[in-house]
Amino acid sequence: MHESDDTRRTRRRFLQAAAAAGVIGVAGCNTPGEGGGTDTETETGGGSAGDGDPEQIGSGRSPFGDREVGGVTMEEMPDLEGELTVYSGRGEALVGELLEFIEDQYPDLTIRPRYNTAAELVSQIETEGQNSPADAFYSVNAGALGTLANRGRTQSLPEEVLEFVPESFRDPDGEWVGTSGRARSVPFNTNAFSASDIPQDIMAFPDTGAFEGEVGWTPTYSSFQAFITAMRILEGEEATREWLNGMQDLGTSTYSDEFQVSRAVADGEIFVGLANHYYIQRVLARRPNAPISTAFTRNDAGAIFNVAGACVLDTASDSTLASNFVRHLLSAEAQDYFARSTFEYPLIPEVEPIGRLPPIDELNPPEDLDLSQLADLEATISLLRETGVL
Amino acid sequence: MAAENQPIDDDTGAEDRLPLGPSIAAAAVSAAVLLPVLWLIRTGFGVGFDAAAALLTRPTTIEVFVNSAVLVVLTTVACVAIGVPLAYLTVRTDLPFRRFWTIAVSLPLVIPSYVGAFAFVSAFGPQGGFQRLLAPLGVERIPEIYGLEGTVLILTLYTYPYVYITARASLKSMDTTLIDAARTLEHDRWETFRRVTVPQIRPAVAAGALLSALYVLADFGTPQIMRYDVFTRVIFVEFGTFGRDTAVLLSLQLVAVTVFILWLESRIRGEERTKAGGRSRAPVPLGRWRYPMMLPVALVAGLALVVPVAILVSWLAATGTTTNQALVFEWSFALNSVTVSAAAAAAAVVAAIPVAYLSARHGGRLPDAFERISYVGYAVPGVVLGLALVFFGSSYAAPIYQTLYLLVFAYVIRFLPQSVGSLRASFLSVDPSLPEAARTLGRTSAGAFRYVTLPLVAPGLFGGAALVFLTTMKELPATLLLRPSGFTTLVTHIWTAYESGYFGQAAIPALVLLFVSGLSMLVILRQEGYDVK
Repeated sequence: MHESDDTRRTRRRFLQAAAAAGVIGVAGCNTPGEGGGTDTETETGGGSAGDGDPEQIGSGRSPFGDREVGGVTMEEMPDLEGELTVYSGRGEALVGELLEFIEDQYPDLTIRPRYNTAAELVSQIETEGQNSPADAFYSVNAGALGTLANRGRTQSLPEEVLEFVPESFRDPDGEWVGTSGRARSVPFNTNAFSASDIPQDIMAFPDTGAFEGEVGWTPTYSSFQAFITAMRILEGEEATREWLNGMQDLGTSTYSDEFQVSRAVADGEIFVGLANHYYIQRVLARRPNAPISTAFTRNDAGAIFNVAGACVLDTASDSTLASNFVRHLLSAEAQDYFARSTFEYPLIPEVEPIGRLPPIDELNPPEDLDLSQLADLEATISLLRETGVL
Repeated sequence: MAAENQPIDDDTGAEDRLPLGPSIAAAAVSAAVLLPVLWLIRTGFGVGFDAAAALLTRPTTIEVFVNSAVLVVLTTVACVAIGVPLAYLTVRTDLPFRRFWTIAVSLPLVIPSYVGAFAFVSAFGPQGGFQRLLAPLGVERIPEIYGLEGTVLILTLYTYPYVYITARASLKSMDTTLIDAARTLEHDRWETFRRVTVPQIRPAVAAGALLSALYVLADFGTPQIMRYDVFTRVIFVEFGTFGRDTAVLLSLQLVAVTVFILWLESRIRGEERTKAGGRSRAPVPLGRWRYPMMLPVALVAGLALVVPVAILVSWLAATGTTTNQALVFEWSFALNSVTVSAAAAAAAVVAAIPVAYLSARHGGRLPDAFERISYVGYAVPGVVLGLALVFFGSSYAAPIYQTLYLLVFAYVIRFLPQSVGSLRASFLSVDPSLPEAARTLGRTSAGAFRYVTLPLVAPGLFGGAALVFLTTMKELPATLLLRPSGFTTLVTHIWTAYESGYFGQAAIPALVLLFVSGLSMLVILRQEGYDVK
């Protein structure tokens, strides 16, 4: 008991430090619509006053840090009982603590997480076929979830789980639900550019002379491929081809993941990148003074808002347990956890993001783009190959 | 030279009848190795002919194929050029601190090549540590590390130990009286090396070079980080976009290339003779070169080890307050790694004995086929092999699916050729008249094998075990797919931390991996010394 108390205290201190580092890091970047205040804790929309009685319905004190959060707490959710095998495409470092936290809430619950990349877990589930021991699949992106759904390997989630999040963050057929959000963004080196130098239109990037030889991208990375898929859908095949060719003419450098791109921007190896928003926060959490900041494009493929999410598999031995587990990922505690530890956007409106990011409704993702459309990767891959990007 | 010893003739009948026990054992091993390939073929066929043909004849496919070929050839040549002299220096000469150097130059094998690549990019990339170090001297740009040259450099540094370890085992069990004979015939030292030593160690060097070549062919991570477009990158992309079947089909193509390389190697291997073995004498004195010769050895070990270690330590120093509670290091990870690696090494050696013995002792079509087949699992990328076993495990072996048994089985299939290659070379260097003498003195054939042949091949046995052990320590893709849920090894822990950007916490298990592997090498070397003399 003593040891676990200790762990919890260390954990809390870490989370606070990380959050604070994130805040200091982005100070000076002109994110729209943010007031002062160095502490995010004061800016929550939870609205409950005082010491935050954990019993209180609808809001409570975050178990992971010092703030009030709204939403439905785990305590108000159905109890979890039994054994649950979760194939997690999200890393242990990011969600391990959360899964343990959920497990600790219930004496009769055992969660067996299996960590790997989302793509490999999809392959594994496909290969195991009907013998799969997996009950639930937890993914970094909508693409992997959509793929499993398209291949008939999922079961629909109950309406009361789905309706935690706005419609745009879940599968139209109810086969999966988003649990946290990631915005496409443009990390830039603050020694080389200011935010106003970054075009607000992603399609203008190839014609931006100042970017010559200074941009980095990640053609093999799933988030990048989802971004190109969005561009195909929004701008059409031809415009996307031109964009890809134009970017290559700029001498864009290739990296293997977006954390690397963000680090390279911070190091001045390149000055601009294409990456999910939280990678910048993660660089800053480690190096608060790094010369890196975030820009967003508006209403185009460069501004899509993708989700990490979860689904229940057709092989689940107890589908109620599995869907209630997914429900727990939408609890106030879990949503607060994502904001804190992964710098993602919570998807329930009652919990605010951390890190002085613009609130979710100030982002400008393209309208009329359905996340489930992003699972259509085939044409994207052939386009990337045709243009020699892959 | 050595011509008196009867070369084993492939085609003479009666005397060469295959022993039943070893044959059955070797056949069983081959069947196990082929099991995953059956799944590959079945899944590959699922793609459909048209799609497959379109995929395989795209211009980029051909381009990456050429790139892969260039990479494999250059790296293999470089591995031999580094591995053989190092083996000679540390086995046959009076180089100071030989045991230390033996460990130091073997250790690069345990550094996952993607960690090496990442470290080199951090150190020597644009704006890397090295450039920053030179910046005050006015150096603004250092030569580009990305691309072919960098990829060859990294892969050479982390795969030459294959050549080194097999060549070393062969040099250790080589009969050096022949060298004396050559020297009395007034050959100079170089001439002696060329005419006596080279033919004797050629099978072992070829086996090691083959391992390097196939490793390079199947490696995903290094070309990815070094931005050099090779065949595995195409497979990687397919996996990333849920195109499992296409990825498998492309892997079959890798298997086809492997078959070609195996054929090529059996040509290069040359005529193999068995030689009188086991007699060796004092090492060659290096004279005034004794100390200076440590320099090139130190240079290789230094580049391969010190760069990543320095980078790891710098990560460690930069950790500061950002540690992740889910990533706290536990010593049980090291214990897990050592346990499964030791089990895999032992099992791989046991499985290799019949295959290597038959092939070296009897030759002929069937034993040669067994030996060649043992390479197949090694040439399939780890992810693909892992998936094949996911299929067999979940469909036909549910009780051992996601248990350590299946995991160790996977390691054996994957790394079997490492023990076969090294053992086979050792069997070849044992004079067949020795076990025959034991038989005439009343030993059974099993007894002669146990008391005469086995001790003579001990260096190859331990060399093979060491290879399997070291490479299992760092194996990642199959481990991720097949481990029991919640089973963490050093490498899965490195991967977890590295992937989520906690480099400081990736550094700890990486340094422990090096330390534990070094320690294990020491144990293996002691054992080897004990058994030989």
